[in-house]
Amino acid sequence: MHFTSITAGLVQLFGGLVASMLIPGFIQSLKAKLQGRVGPGSLQPYRDLRRLWNKSTVSVSNSTLTYRIAPSVVATSMGLAVLVVPVSSLGPNWGVGHDAFVLGGVLALSRLALVLAAWDTRNGFSLMAASRDLTISIFTETAMLISLSVAALVAGSTDMQVMISRISLFHVWSSPAPSLALAAFSLVVIAETGHQPVDNPDTHLELTMIHEGMTLEYAGRDLAMLQWSGGVKHWIMLVMLSEIFLPHFQNAYLQLLCLPLTVIAICIILAIVESTIVKMRLLNVPRFLGLGTILAFMGILALKVPS
Amino acid sequence: MTDTFRNQVAELLNNDYTFGGLYATKLSGSVKAVFISPNGALKILECQVQSGEAPSIADLVPSNWDEREAHDLYQISFNGHSPLRPLVEHDPISDHWTVAVKGSDVYQIAVGPIHAGIIESGHFRFHVIGDRILFLDTQLFYKYRGLEIAAENKTLHEGKRYVERMCMGCSVANALAYVQACEEIIGYIPSAKLRILRTVLLELERLWNHLNDIAAICAGVGMSLGNQIFLVLSERIRRLNFSLTGHRYLSGTIDIGEIKPVLTADNIENIRSELESVRLRAKEAWRELIFNSSFAARLEGVGVVDTAQIRRLGAVGPAARAAGLKEDFRAHSTKLDYENFEAVIPENPKGDVRSRLEQRYLEFLQSTEIIFRLIRKTDILTDEETACEPKPLGIGITESARGRTLCIVEASEGRIERLHMRTGSYANWSAVAYAAVGNLLPDFPLINKSFELCYACSDR
Repeated sequence: MHFTSITAGLVQLFGGLVASMLIPGFIQSLKAKLQGRVGPGSLQPYRDLRRLWNKSTVSVSNSTLTYRIAPSVVATSMGLAVLVVPVSSLGPNWGVGHDAFVLGGVLALSRLALVLAAWDTRNGFSLMAASRDLTISIFTETAMLISLSVAALVAGSTDMQVMISRISLFHVWSSPAPSLALAAFSLVVIAETGHQPVDNPDTHLELTMIHEGMTLEYAGRDLAMLQWSGGVKHWIMLVMLSEIFLPHFQNAYLQLLCLPLTVIAICIILAIVESTIVKMRLLNVPRFLGLGTILAFMGILALKVPS
Repeated sequence: MTDTFRNQVAELLNNDYTFGGLYATKLSGSVKAVFISPNGALKILECQVQSGEAPSIADLVPSNWDEREAHDLYQISFNGHSPLRPLVEHDPISDHWTVAVKGSDVYQIAVGPIHAGIIESGHFRFHVIGDRILFLDTQLFYKYRGLEIAAENKTLHEGKRYVERMCMGCSVANALAYVQACEEIIGYIPSAKLRILRTVLLELERLWNHLNDIAAICAGVGMSLGNQIFLVLSERIRRLNFSLTGHRYLSGTIDIGEIKPVLTADNIENIRSELESVRLRAKEAWRELIFNSSFAARLEGVGVVDTAQIRRLGAVGPAARAAGLKEDFRAHSTKLDYENFEAVIPENPKGDVRSRLEQRYLEFLQSTEIIFRLIRKTDILTDEETACEPKPLGIGITESARGRTLCIVEASEGRIERLHMRTGSYANWSAVAYAAVGNLLPDFPLINKSFELCYACSDR
């Protein structure tokens, strides 16, 4: 195996499985600084994981296997997603390929597991949050798949490694398509990672919750797995944004070198957005994500309409 | 008998009196209703309870909660009030206290009494379709302490401690209402100096409350920056309170006929400079806040309670004024120092969250001006007390940060026979439930925070 490929593989595994919790931690601590608070450090999510891992789990009375296995299903599909999303144009194929639409399916599977578990608990909040999450996911997934389609059309393949290497070419950016896809996918990142203006990850107000609502009944190791999955989702989304949709280098080493810098930059932007833009009214969220869909669709038109 | 009571009420209403509260007494076996004339004069109507029954006036005045409370605590059934739902006594069967909302796709979301955040205990039952609220049933009084009854047979001085502990957020307003009632009983008229001191304390309490409420509204929409800034300002006022009185919430500063040395020559300068600095920072922060379009978009037209509904529900305080009702009891507070006071209301009062937020800011500015005016004239006044005729029943009314707070004390031989407290929060809870109807479920925390009522003031 090529040396570059090994390095990329290590970055992919270490970043996705271990370092990913740093992303929400870093955003949290940045937000605290922006508000003039001392706040927790970037390593706080790891401390939370350690605390939760040593606690026993809680089972809701009369709940079934659906509730029990949901955290494992979510964590497994996130682990799988880490393997699917490449960190550079070169890298190992883990036997699962790098197909963008496989990733869409894996994300949908984790969502399904959590929604079914919410249904299983029969908790009003969980169900309310699940119905909101499903409603919003229709718009998020549409915007995500269409913006990935733009990238696929530019690259001529749905393989994300090919996308990375093709979109790194200079001439590709002479068409408005990649820029439109970038704009669309940025909105998807905000929605999928659960940041303001779509969702508020720090809220204690049960009635406003979306993602947090579904996990209310979980404790201990179950919650640890779900929180880890949240960190991994940040990693997946930010890697895709920086490696596929943002302009990047052609050289795989330079791609790997720039990745942490881009991720940090995106974290800073997310923290600033979250500190200055409030959570929007729930009924406006589809409109917000609809904008992403329209932008991505314009990207397809830009590629398909002969000039 | 029954008809005369209702006729008397109707006649007072015709003369533009407003309902101040209703309470029952065990000793005389009667129900008493307090009315307030447009110029602040008080009138009490009494109706004897006959074989456990009294006529309901809930169709004439907003006495719904008062009658339910009297029923739960004194077993009086009110004729014409049907169904008479429990208020203080909690019924485990939810059908007994909720309003039936039936139909396909209607479901209930139950919140509380234990919440995910650090919030007082209250149970909210939302009847919703999707995320749209059809109706809201509230169940409070989870921590009802029976303080009114515990204070019975205590001396007037001891009673103050019970009143002060009803709610720390409204400590001054509640204690002051009680003390004014007691001073009516013993026939004491406070000196000009004492009037100034009490007014300053009441306004300091309003300052930290209003700043805190603005911060709470910011938190309700996830505006963490605004939340932090206004929390800091509120904290600065509480620290000022501490440096002046030794208590962050000003507890223990009000006493019957007693002046605490709060305003001295050195700390007057301290108050002035600190308030000016807080005011400046609040003005800057407010400008930034209202120019944030994402923030403004969450407030307009949410949780509307218009003037007609405010009157029907008997809502008071900033919530009423934000709907355009220019009523503020400070204008009639002869026992305090509010010369030429005029209630402020927003330019375009709509009764929504935005108006209630703006109302808080305007009152914050007004309160700082009142304090500036008062501390300028402290040293020129004497503390000459006067006396008047003692009475068996005293009523004190103050305008707390939540609205008009009424305290009734009945005493004989210096001991309390009946103490009744009707706070601004107590009067406003029905308006919160009404404001939620038709809005989105995720907007309810915001609507609730725009009223920011105390639970403790009801669970007294």
